Amino acid sequence: MDIFSDLWLGAATAFHPVNLAYGFIGCLLGTAIGVLPGLGPTATIAMLLPITFGLQPESALIMLAGIFYGAQYGGSTTAVLINLPGESSSVVTAIDGYQMARRGRAGAALATAALGSFFAGTVATVLLAVAAPPLAAVALKFGPAEYFSLMVLGLVASVALASGSLLKAFAMIVFGLLLGAIGTDVESGTPRYVFDIPQLYDGLNFVAVSMGIFGLCEILRNLENEHERSVGVRKVTGLMLTRDDFRRIRGPVLRGTALGSLLGVLPGGGAMLSSFAAYALEKRVSPNRAEFGKGAIEGVAAPEAANNAGAQTSFIPMLTLGIPGNPVMALMVGAMIIQGITPGPNVISEEPALFWGMIVSMWSGNLMLVILNLPLIGLWLRMLTIPYHLLFPAIIGFCCIGAYSINNSVFDVFIMAGFSVVGFALFKLRFEPAPLLLGFILGPMLEENLRRAMLISQGDPTIFVRSPLSLSLLAVAVLVLGLVLAPSINRKRDEAFTE
Amino acid sequence: MLKIRNGRDFVGGVAMIVVSLLFIWFGRELDVGNSFQMGPGYFPRMLSLLLISIGVLIILQSLVVASEAEPDETANWKAYALVILAPIVFGLALSRLGLAPTMFLMIVAVSFASKYAGWRHSVALALFMAICSVVLFTRLLSLPVSAFGPWIPFLGN
Repeated sequence: MDIFSDLWLGAATAFHPVNLAYGFIGCLLGTAIGVLPGLGPTATIAMLLPITFGLQPESALIMLAGIFYGAQYGGSTTAVLINLPGESSSVVTAIDGYQMARRGRAGAALATAALGSFFAGTVATVLLAVAAPPLAAVALKFGPAEYFSLMVLGLVASVALASGSLLKAFAMIVFGLLLGAIGTDVESGTPRYVFDIPQLYDGLNFVAVSMGIFGLCEILRNLENEHERSVGVRKVTGLMLTRDDFRRIRGPVLRGTALGSLLGVLPGGGAMLSSFAAYALEKRVSPNRAEFGKGAIEGVAAPEAANNAGAQTSFIPMLTLGIPGNPVMALMVGAMIIQGITPGPNVISEEPALFWGMIVSMWSGNLMLVILNLPLIGLWLRMLTIPYHLLFPAIIGFCCIGAYSINNSVFDVFIMAGFSVVGFALFKLRFEPAPLLLGFILGPMLEENLRRAMLISQGDPTIFVRSPLSLSLLAVAVLVLGLVLAPSINRKRDEAFTE
Repeated sequence: MLKIRNGRDFVGGVAMIVVSLLFIWFGRELDVGNSFQMGPGYFPRMLSLLLISIGVLIILQSLVVASEAEPDETANWKAYALVILAPIVFGLALSRLGLAPTMFLMIVAVSFASKYAGWRHSVALALFMAICSVVLFTRLLSLPVSAFGPWIPFLGN
């Protein structure tokens, strides 16, 4: 077994006409919805998940991955054209991208984003193919204690790297873990918090929960201060880059790719952190740093390469360890579980066609995006002009049918409505919803491994520090926590003293 | 002197404590067991206690650290009510009216959550969504819902 035969197997899956078609549809749908205002990748995937339920696992995951990077790409398009980043990872793209568009270089900015993303996607895919099998081999040696520690590390790191208050993010994780406890207890078969509602015996449905928290809640937030958007750019021309442009973006794309690939692997990192870091780095090292903020092409190339690389490598912990690092990966894990696949180190050996097919499809998906999106830019521009007051009722309509179609039951529609209220209340109190979803997905796994580990050690909690692997994972978690806590404690202390 | 310097966080901390108390109360009959053989109640109980302590810390922090100034938000109660009630009405009406009329009515109603809504646009959009959803979901994806339910005379089944 070498990597080429694996990739060959993957290519056979990814380039199968059916899967190619679903990947294509995924990219197209993802971009179309990503271009629409007020819908990020998480909400897009949550909304479109039910469409994939009836497909073969390979096709479903390939399509979902296509939706993911399509949505991401759509977000950059809106960032460049109307200074409205479709999602957090293209916030920095908007800074220089929009300035380029105002100077009539929208085409060049979009082409830079597309080519930079494609290059980064290719590199990150290769990285994924090389790094995943050895990582999974290590993970196969994991016992319950190691798994528990690994998940603790993942949760801690996702909090540490997130924005906002650390305490509140922790509260969200614990709240999510508690929500995960709803349903039948796996070990004893005892129903927990089900209130004699038969639909709750399987637990809350995560698609309904995330559609409520991310989909409907976003609509509530958008309607709060509603105003018509104006599209400054009417027509995009000049998609071709000049020789000078190519010379200028070469360095930023390479640096962005490297940074993004590294940061994407970290839990809670992914695309957003990568793009911010790449922009900050480029601002320091670029010879044209004076131009930043005024339409520097480097300011588009670096974050776009980085966020795509980060998006791609964030699949590594999900595919090899079964641990999602961000809400999008949490949804992918959920999709795999629905398809009857338990995400984790066994996927590579048990479902090689699926695993390698997905990896190769990431590359082909990125290629499709370049081929698709540059010629279709006129269409995306038209979609941008759809006013929001016509969009949100349609989104609500699709969410309702989507929630219904999960189990063909209206109960999930009610759950979705309920969690839109929960999500909105959390937003009002400035709690981040992303850690809640992570906790909710990981909760049952965390509990199962904790209980197994304690059963093995006969109730002795030192099992988590006796195994060297588990100990080092926990040590890293403590270290990450310490690093984040130190400056924030100091800063808050300062604030308290100046009062 | 103790003074609430961050009202939002204070409420947030209290909310987390209330959530944990709810989980403890409704899980009061679950067997907790011991750390060797954990019962179904062990993990939720542990988490609830953890969440209470985080809630207390958030409250303490809200007494010490002042909130950052934020732009005022205007509550739009009509929008909240319409958007939150729409899925509930959808769920209740679906089996009785069928997909097409339910979708049509829900879209017309919910579109008025926006201040830019107008009758002509709303009805056109609702018709479009009703037709699309029937074609896509009952014909192509064959969900077990009928386009017209038993409450619709002549058409329904």
